[in-house]
Amino acid sequence: MSGRDRISRALTPVTGRLSGKPYKSIRNTLGKGTGEKRGQARYSAFDLFRRGFTKDPWPPVWREHELSSSYDVVVVGGGVHGLAIAYYLAHRHGITNVCVLDKSYVGSGGSGRNTAIIRSNYLTPDGVRFYDRSVKLYENLSAELNFNVMFSQRGHLTLAHNDSSLRTMRWRAEVNKLENIDSEVIGPEEIKKLVPYLDVSSEPRYPILGALYHPPGGIIRHDAVVWGYARGADTAGVHIHQNTEVVGINVSSGRVTGVRTNRGDISAPIVVNATAGWASLISNMVGVRMPITTSPLQAAVTEPVKPFLNTVVVSGSLHVYMSQTDRGELVFGASVDPFPSYSMRGSLDFIEGLASHVLELMPALSKMRVLRQWAGLCDMTPDYSPIMGFTPVEGFLVDVGWGTYGFKAGPVSGEAMAQLIADNKTPQIIEAFALERFGTGELLGEKGAASVGH
Amino acid sequence: MRLSLRPGEVIDRSRPLRFTWNGHDYPAFLGDTISSALAASGERVMSRSFKYSRPRGVLTADSLDPGCIVQVGDEPNVRASHRRVEDGMIASPQNVWPSLRFDVKVANRAVSRFLSAGFYYKTFMKPQRLWPAYEAVLKRFASGGVISNRPAAGYFDKRYAHPDVVVAGGGPAGMSAAVAAAEAGAQVMLVESEHELGGHLRWGGAHELSVLAELKAAVSATNSIEVLIDSVVAGRYDGNFLAILQRSLPGVTERLIKARAKTLIVAPGLIERPYVFAGNDLPGVMLSGAARRLINLWAVKPGTRAVVFTANSSGDAAAQDLEGAGVEVCCVEDARRGGDVVRASGSATLQSVECGDGRTYQCDLLVTATGWTAPTSLLNMAGDKPTYDERAARFFPCSLPEDVLATGGITGDGSLEQILEHAAHTGRLAAGRARVAGGRLRKGVPHAAPTDSPVAEEQSNAITALPVDAHVALFRGRTHGFVDFSEDVSSKELEAAVAEGYSSIELAKRYTTATMGSAQGKLEVVNAVAVVAAATESTITETGTTVWRPPYAPITLGALAGRTLEPVRYSPMQSWHEARGATPLVAGAWIRPDHYGNPTAEVRNVRSNVGLIDVTPLGKFDLRGPDAAKLLSQLYVNKWAKLAVGSVRYGVMCAEDGVVLDDGVTGRLSDDNYLMTATSSGADTLLEWAESWLQTEHPEWRVHITPVTSDFASINVAGPKSRTLLERLVENVDLSAEAFPYMRVRRGRVAGVEDCLMWRIGFTGELSFELHVPSSYGLHVWESLMEQGADLGIAPFGIEAQRILRLEKGHLIVGQDTDGLTRAYSAELDWAIKLDKEDFSGKPELSWQAERSDWPKLVGLRPEDVTVVPPEASQIVHDGAIAGRITSSRMSPTLGRPICLGLVAPHLAEPGTELSIVLPAGVRARAVVTEHLAHFDPEGQRLRG
Repeated sequence: MSGRDRISRALTPVTGRLSGKPYKSIRNTLGKGTGEKRGQARYSAFDLFRRGFTKDPWPPVWREHELSSSYDVVVVGGGVHGLAIAYYLAHRHGITNVCVLDKSYVGSGGSGRNTAIIRSNYLTPDGVRFYDRSVKLYENLSAELNFNVMFSQRGHLTLAHNDSSLRTMRWRAEVNKLENIDSEVIGPEEIKKLVPYLDVSSEPRYPILGALYHPPGGIIRHDAVVWGYARGADTAGVHIHQNTEVVGINVSSGRVTGVRTNRGDISAPIVVNATAGWASLISNMVGVRMPITTSPLQAAVTEPVKPFLNTVVVSGSLHVYMSQTDRGELVFGASVDPFPSYSMRGSLDFIEGLASHVLELMPALSKMRVLRQWAGLCDMTPDYSPIMGFTPVEGFLVDVGWGTYGFKAGPVSGEAMAQLIADNKTPQIIEAFALERFGTGELLGEKGAASVGH
Repeated sequence: MRLSLRPGEVIDRSRPLRFTWNGHDYPAFLGDTISSALAASGERVMSRSFKYSRPRGVLTADSLDPGCIVQVGDEPNVRASHRRVEDGMIASPQNVWPSLRFDVKVANRAVSRFLSAGFYYKTFMKPQRLWPAYEAVLKRFASGGVISNRPAAGYFDKRYAHPDVVVAGGGPAGMSAAVAAAEAGAQVMLVESEHELGGHLRWGGAHELSVLAELKAAVSATNSIEVLIDSVVAGRYDGNFLAILQRSLPGVTERLIKARAKTLIVAPGLIERPYVFAGNDLPGVMLSGAARRLINLWAVKPGTRAVVFTANSSGDAAAQDLEGAGVEVCCVEDARRGGDVVRASGSATLQSVECGDGRTYQCDLLVTATGWTAPTSLLNMAGDKPTYDERAARFFPCSLPEDVLATGGITGDGSLEQILEHAAHTGRLAAGRARVAGGRLRKGVPHAAPTDSPVAEEQSNAITALPVDAHVALFRGRTHGFVDFSEDVSSKELEAAVAEGYSSIELAKRYTTATMGSAQGKLEVVNAVAVVAAATESTITETGTTVWRPPYAPITLGALAGRTLEPVRYSPMQSWHEARGATPLVAGAWIRPDHYGNPTAEVRNVRSNVGLIDVTPLGKFDLRGPDAAKLLSQLYVNKWAKLAVGSVRYGVMCAEDGVVLDDGVTGRLSDDNYLMTATSSGADTLLEWAESWLQTEHPEWRVHITPVTSDFASINVAGPKSRTLLERLVENVDLSAEAFPYMRVRRGRVAGVEDCLMWRIGFTGELSFELHVPSSYGLHVWESLMEQGADLGIAPFGIEAQRILRLEKGHLIVGQDTDGLTRAYSAELDWAIKLDKEDFSGKPELSWQAERSDWPKLVGLRPEDVTVVPPEASQIVHDGAIAGRITSSRMSPTLGRPICLGLVAPHLAEPGTELSIVLPAGVRARAVVTEHLAHFDPEGQRLRG
């Protein structure tokens, strides 16, 4: 579908009933829970030591359950968003009669395919505040979840190769500073100090003129975030059902009544669509059309070498971003493929372009080897911002449209969506992301930055 | 220790070499791999493992050997059991500090019980501020070699190929298939990862060697087979697009061959699978294939006293080879008769082996032959989901697309003769399918009707499938051992991961990192699956495997990138600019003059005399056809139907969301012919945009759009004296204001050059003529203008001066004064937008915007402090919130004060409004909204002159 159709078609079915409906509050029916809370097996150096000696096995990180016939909240999608919603529902609001469904294993979608970059140096004040909240939650996540998510705040550099992107970097820096985010434009000499392997000379075809430097940005162990939230949610009694695919959603008189899965039906007054890649398909099940197109984003990883890159490096102009994991591998990603597709196979064209851009930045790497490549799916919205909150179908909530920025927003989205469910009211921090904006024209400006990078 | 001459040896004893390993000098022969040469010198420890720092040696003696990954010169992670020794080569172990023999991380082994897989998820959590310190410790464990901060030596290249048949694997099956396909008329590419063709025949007995000689002769006698050794089919992508990595080309480090194969034959043979038991990673424990290769290819005696644990003929043959090489085989433990090995022990290398019946043997070599893994990676990439056969204890292809076939060990067992026949049959089939595919291509039918399918023809001639032999299912024995050697993951850790809830193979893989190392699971995955299956009390089929992803074998970034081909676009006048010392500006694909030393002087000269700017990069498109005006009308918000021949118009283009996409001037040259211009940076996008409308929305329109940007050299002659200058050079066009007014186009002769287009427009705000001359005459016209204008004070000006000039005049730059949300009304383009047109891109959104007033507006801004220019991107704040930003700012040489454009909130857009701007140091500056965007000559007297 072309973009122009996308917008008009997305708007048609919701015209006239644009304002999303809150649902009948579940507060009244609360309090039963799944009744399966349990004491948490703490992780600690001491416990590692003790079990190393006693050979006591660790308890399961989460448990398996039979599918209950009803839950207060059904979350579709067992990635970081879905699990974080369940976690905060249970821990902050005491709403525990909740299940998270995933058609495969937890973290098998975008949560396990992204390049795990965290940052908050966005362009719009709304974006900055939102992602900054996420960074703050990430900073305390290991302690909160008692699961080391290895958030490495090693700094994040977005390179500028021409004066227009340098101007955009300054724009971002100015907005960031006004929002009290550590972010500044630095010159080639400072860049060289941070990343000695970058060629900052005038030799490259697209010389590096400067960069936006964001010290609190960094990388994280993405699987650990997923597992940590899953474990935390499980501890509070949330049911996590893997290999459970939603095949339909029941709606009666404009209200959600439950979901149909390959393992049986579940009745529920609230269903949250927290999928990425399949968000529009799930929403179609209740007749809510999303202004979303889905395109693959490809990534690749090299064999490990000894640490030499201690910063996340992004080049919007060259469509590449890279970081070195603690294991020594370089992780690369690119921009979204220029065509919509649900394919998660990598292409040769992609790694060729990627390699040539990487070597343009760091000529020393020509003998490093690419070990594997993969793709994830990105649900792109017209304004490069998510869609969160109520929909015209009562009880059907969305936390979708996460493009290339979903992982960064996992904690704050979970927190905000849980708040929304508990209060039956959209929290201020996500007001700007409501579906209605496509009806009222109040699109967000993240697209304003020519390079929506990582 | 080197053995006497072996019949199949690949070393050339007349060519001794020397190389350095770990700082010491070692001998080798031509044909030795690094590890075979080291083994011949008695070295057994090649590396230390990445997590537990365990000594590791030769396990597979081929490119998968996980313990033989070394640094060679500036190249990290070289496969020492594959890479051949070159004279003077400097190789060193990777994971050792301070040395291979004494490694401080060996202490990890003492605490290994606390360092089980994923231990790091369970500790180092508090205090948060100490995580960077913990992380620094973890990083010390990073495996792999070293990348130095110098461009690596080597030459990388690419090649495109269109073979009929590509055969992946140059063993007996691959060779036989290649010969048969070639004899059936196909152009064949035979790709073998080792340094020679032959596969397992090479380390076989007399019969195998004689068959090999015949096959080799047949291959070399067939002209239409191109043999690529030391090369690998690394990826199979949609449409049988293959990435073949070639390392055998003299003078080229690595070459990526991109082959569009009509058919692909997958014949990789089988990979021998390690057995999981205690001590299975000790140097001295190796697979039967490794022992046979060391003995028969490199004449290396792998040990002195050996235990052989065998479940198949390869193990039996290894026992024979060992005895033939003078190794004492103290025990042959036969799994087919219930034999087992339980434990291998030794301090740094193997010293004893405990068998299933409790007997213990003192020995320095344990050879295991417990089974095979089918390398199904290429099949998976072709969409196949191989199925597990319990009887044969391995995976087999299930359903392949028409253009991919498989043969050899990956499809079954059988005698060598049966395999050769199956392969030959497969080769003929592949050639037939390639012929049909070629016929389809020639007919231009992408996927033709079923009558074209070769399947019917093939059915009468179906291949007899290879028999599948029963095999003992051996994955893990009674004890725990290593499943993934390169990641240091044991079966115990996998079991623990499953018990903790990481119970699917994908989760267990992610949690333990098993199969994520250098071999990408080729060696490890089936054992990992078997361990997880046992731990979850399910079958291997139920457990499934992890997804095989490309590449099949790692490819260097150098080969993927090839030679760096980043074209630069220059105008025909570039030599002139360079000679005048112009400062270059990288502008997308173009490099153009930013200025010639003093942009301020350049501005003044344009305002007072006449200046020349090279605007060749301006996007130019030739529109032809009766529906050209319809296309223009669809693309631009303006109207075009009434544009007269000989006139030009400034047009604004919006995307479907009403956001300004591009702008430029279009001239009507004749009834059906227009020249459209676009911003230099937007030209490529614009062509795609226009084509997408033509091809997907209005294929019925009769109009062609042709990019002609570089057909013309474009020169803007600007300044009050521009007409005087041009009158000296232009023939047959009346340049007077009456005959050639503002916004008109004329065609004529300039400096003797025919067919130059001239249009009167004024981005700089001055009287100006834009000349589009045939590009080969660009330099001539430019030099003629400079020469003829000498007495008029002519001077060139660059992009910087043009930016100042246009800012003085208040002309916006799309992408700078607009952003990804700026709809046309925000950019003060109301006058251009014709909502009464039937349709145009962005109309619904603009109609909507027209009814509202709550959008930001582009305004002129006059800073109060005449000495300070607020930098572009400075934020405008109001009531403590961001209310806009400076989009363009410069010191105006003409006005002697700073001038700005800014996008501001609607309530701040009224002329006279005072705004507060945040300057870099945090101080505030004040500025006033001006009446017009133009700071200079808002009425446009000068450009109309």
